[in-house]
Amino acid sequence: MAAAGGDEQQMLAQRLKAAVHYTVGCLCQEVGEDKDVQFTKQSIAAISEITFRQCEVFAKDLEMFARHAKRTTVTTEDVKLLARKSNSLLKYITQKSEELASSNMEQKEKKKKKSSAAKGKRTPGEQEAAVTENEDSNM
Amino acid sequence: LQLLQPKTVPKRLEASQRKPREPHIPSSLIKEIFRHFAKMPVTRDAFNIVEKCAERYFKQLCIDLEAYTHHAGKKTVEETDLEVLMRRQRLVTDKMPLNVLIERYLPLQYRKLLIPVAVAGNKVIPCK
Repeated sequence: MAAAGGDEQQMLAQRLKAAVHYTVGCLCQEVGEDKDVQFTKQSIAAISEITFRQCEVFAKDLEMFARHAKRTTVTTEDVKLLARKSNSLLKYITQKSEELASSNMEQKEKKKKKSSAAKGKRTPGEQEAAVTENEDSNM
Repeated sequence: LQLLQPKTVPKRLEASQRKPREPHIPSSLIKEIFRHFAKMPVTRDAFNIVEKCAERYFKQLCIDLEAYTHHAGKKTVEETDLEVLMRRQRLVTDKMPLNVLIERYLPLQYRKLLIPVAVAGNKVIPCK
């Protein structure tokens, strides 16, 4: 595991870094268009590296919070606890999580109705919307 | 009973009037600790600011501990909550466990209360 897994892990880390870099590039472009500034390639690379390292810190903290609450699964409560440092961030995250919870509830109700009424036709549009929302919250 | 009640009420009022100040850490203690770690002359104004900072620190500490305790579904703050807090403050890390900090910064009588020590007769104090 140590020797063979090391190579594999490095590959995985490289792929993850590339994905983060791509997303950071997209976000930077968005911000750049909004504020009418441009990001150099180096600054984008630096931001993506920072994001990658910060994710390590977040992961450790979330793990610790979940363990502290005697859980093995990280929940939105842990994420909220992570965002406590900054008040505005906490507000934003709480709002997002409420939106997510309400959309989840709606989906569940719809599923229930569908399963009770007729098993068929799923609306792909809604599911996609839900998936993208999930991704937003993960960011 | 009816005769006793009116007597006790004014007494309580007096007691509350006697100490209207909020509880705080003695400034001499804060000064001593700060001087110990600063190792250079500190002006009186700076000490005043440090004192205010300490007050703020404890306020934030209470808020944070409350959040962590509620997060774990408890109503009593325990050592684990404090450890989580200190991990968040990056005081406790993987390389610096809580017990090392206790050994380094707390006097012996407090250390005895916090860290279990094996004594003669295969007993551990304090027992958990």
